[in-house]
Amino acid sequence: MDETILEIKDLNMVFSSGKSKVHAVDNVSFRIKQGETVGIVGESGCGKTTLGRCIVLAYKATSGQVLYHAADGKKYNIQAISKQKLRSIRKEIQMIFQDPYSSLDPRMTVFDIISEPLRANYKKIPKNEMEYRVQDVAKKVGLNPSYLKRYPHAFSGGQRQRIGIARALILYPRVIICDEPVSALDVSVQSQVINLLMDLQKNMNLTYLFISHDLSVVEHISDQVGVMYLGQIVEYASTDLLFHNPCHPYTEALLSAIPLADPDTPMDHIPLKGEIPNPSNLPSGCFFHTRCPYCQERCIRERTSLIRLDDGRLVSCHFAGKLPLHGIQAKVPR
Amino acid sequence: MTSNAKTVLDIKNLNIDIHLEEGVLTPVRGVNLELQENETLGLVGESGCGKSLTCKAILGINSQNCKTTGQIFYTGKNGERKDLQRMPYGGKAIRAIRGKEISMIFQEPMSAFSPLFTVGHQLQEIVLLHVTKDKRAAKDLIIKSMNRVGIANPEKRYQQYPHEFSGGMLQRALICMGLACSPRILIADEPTTALDVTIQAQILDLLSELQRTSGMSILYITHDLGTVAQLCDRVAVMYLGKIVETASVQEIFHNPIHPYTIGLMGSIHKIGGTKDRLFSIKGSVPLAMNLKNRCSFYDRCIYRKTNPCNGPEPGLTPVTENHYAACYLPQTSLKEVN
Repeated sequence: MDETILEIKDLNMVFSSGKSKVHAVDNVSFRIKQGETVGIVGESGCGKTTLGRCIVLAYKATSGQVLYHAADGKKYNIQAISKQKLRSIRKEIQMIFQDPYSSLDPRMTVFDIISEPLRANYKKIPKNEMEYRVQDVAKKVGLNPSYLKRYPHAFSGGQRQRIGIARALILYPRVIICDEPVSALDVSVQSQVINLLMDLQKNMNLTYLFISHDLSVVEHISDQVGVMYLGQIVEYASTDLLFHNPCHPYTEALLSAIPLADPDTPMDHIPLKGEIPNPSNLPSGCFFHTRCPYCQERCIRERTSLIRLDDGRLVSCHFAGKLPLHGIQAKVPR
Repeated sequence: MTSNAKTVLDIKNLNIDIHLEEGVLTPVRGVNLELQENETLGLVGESGCGKSLTCKAILGINSQNCKTTGQIFYTGKNGERKDLQRMPYGGKAIRAIRGKEISMIFQEPMSAFSPLFTVGHQLQEIVLLHVTKDKRAAKDLIIKSMNRVGIANPEKRYQQYPHEFSGGMLQRALICMGLACSPRILIADEPTTALDVTIQAQILDLLSELQRTSGMSILYITHDLGTVAQLCDRVAVMYLGKIVETASVQEIFHNPIHPYTIGLMGSIHKIGGTKDRLFSIKGSVPLAMNLKNRCSFYDRCIYRKTNPCNGPEPGLTPVTENHYAACYLPQTSLKEVN
């Protein structure tokens, strides 16, 4: 279980249009162990989706490496790989998308949607094997196999998301990048899909990179959590540590803004000044200094970098460990 | 809620039918709802439960193929009680109330504004219609109102187009539009769903702050129970076009008794809680067409018993004072689920 499966090293992604450059992913490094779930949280525009897409080479990163420890025991840098090899590796890394309404082709039947990865990767797969595998994953995700002849419009949001998950599972992947898989769903359906994802992880030994802006979902599903701000990871720690004892002021502010579903615990959120700076015109020093309630002179001048604290977490703050930060109020559910 | 509170909005037996080729859709079936002065009422339910249609019916802005019956009494400032439902669609009477005394904030700020006009132009429209005919006075009023909702540099913002605003700022502008004429009732239809948590927290603060200072009533529609706990005084839970439970926010969160409410509470993850499976309500919401006359939650309910649950659809009955539920077998605690 302690085996690393994905290593992201100094990943940078710069989008440029005309003169302006946007540093969407800025020197991001972390590693994911096999069978673990890593959550990435942050506000919209912080680069979390771009990070996920760089990992599957949907975007070619500007610089940096994504090392994947493949099932054959070798290490591959996905960012610099031959086309042939990429094909075989993409079978092992799949993606689930946010919007179940636009990620399924309305003109394909559910069977065609789920089997498409098979047809793309194994040209000569026998029909009966294909049918067997599609029915198998359909059962795994809780879709009635008799619905496979239907078109996506006949399904509700939660069921569509199950179709998307089945499509990601059909190649028996090892890693799944989940990009906001439950954000578009209702609460009761969210819990169904989260339970499904957790069951599948247990049964199929999957590794998840779980990208979401919903902190309570991330807290539930993740073992490790990375907080992103303006393309950088500002804090990376185990879930309990991060939620109960944050070390970066931005993490603290994010946590304080979660509306707790308890009328007796009023939210005591730390208001952040202003808005997220324009990513094409980044602030000096620490990127967060323009909104940080603990900002000091050093923060305006000096850039920060990730440092490892004694408890093993990574924080990008000059005063990491020295600030009196509060986590989520310790709450014991009834 | 105090006993001498004045009722500003009183919805009685509201029904909405939509006639389609396939049959008659009944998204709202006999909704009774009261909104008191200076109260925040949360209307909670999943998509398709009819919560948005109910609110649009108050303002008479549902599309015309929605056949609405029932009564919607609005008590004006002078104490006069009017039935909004009987006012002609698009007539003078309803237009004098719409936007002035009852106004609404919509879900997606990005699509609520027209990209072709400046934000200022769109904000002043409502003031020009209801308050003053003088454009300069309207601008002054809007700028004051923009200041109040926390839009920095309003003079400059007034001239800008919606694409120059961020999502949070645009939502503030939308709230500013809703509040420009100091309405007595604000209907907020999922005002924070499209926003990040930090911005959401700011908007919630803003709403409760504005309510404190102006004394208006808020009808807050959402499916996010977290924000309900933080903002509302009273909650009504809606399922398949009916209100199935209503009580004070404390009661709903601590003693939910309708199985659907219990299911909703169980399916939200509580931070710091166990990492086990979340409770989930099995199945999905059925289509509101050709419904049988029995409890609408029957097929998904884990507590159901053939007798009495298979009987005619239960109505809202009091369980304790101010706590009503539409259930034959009210449950007592959340523990039985987990």
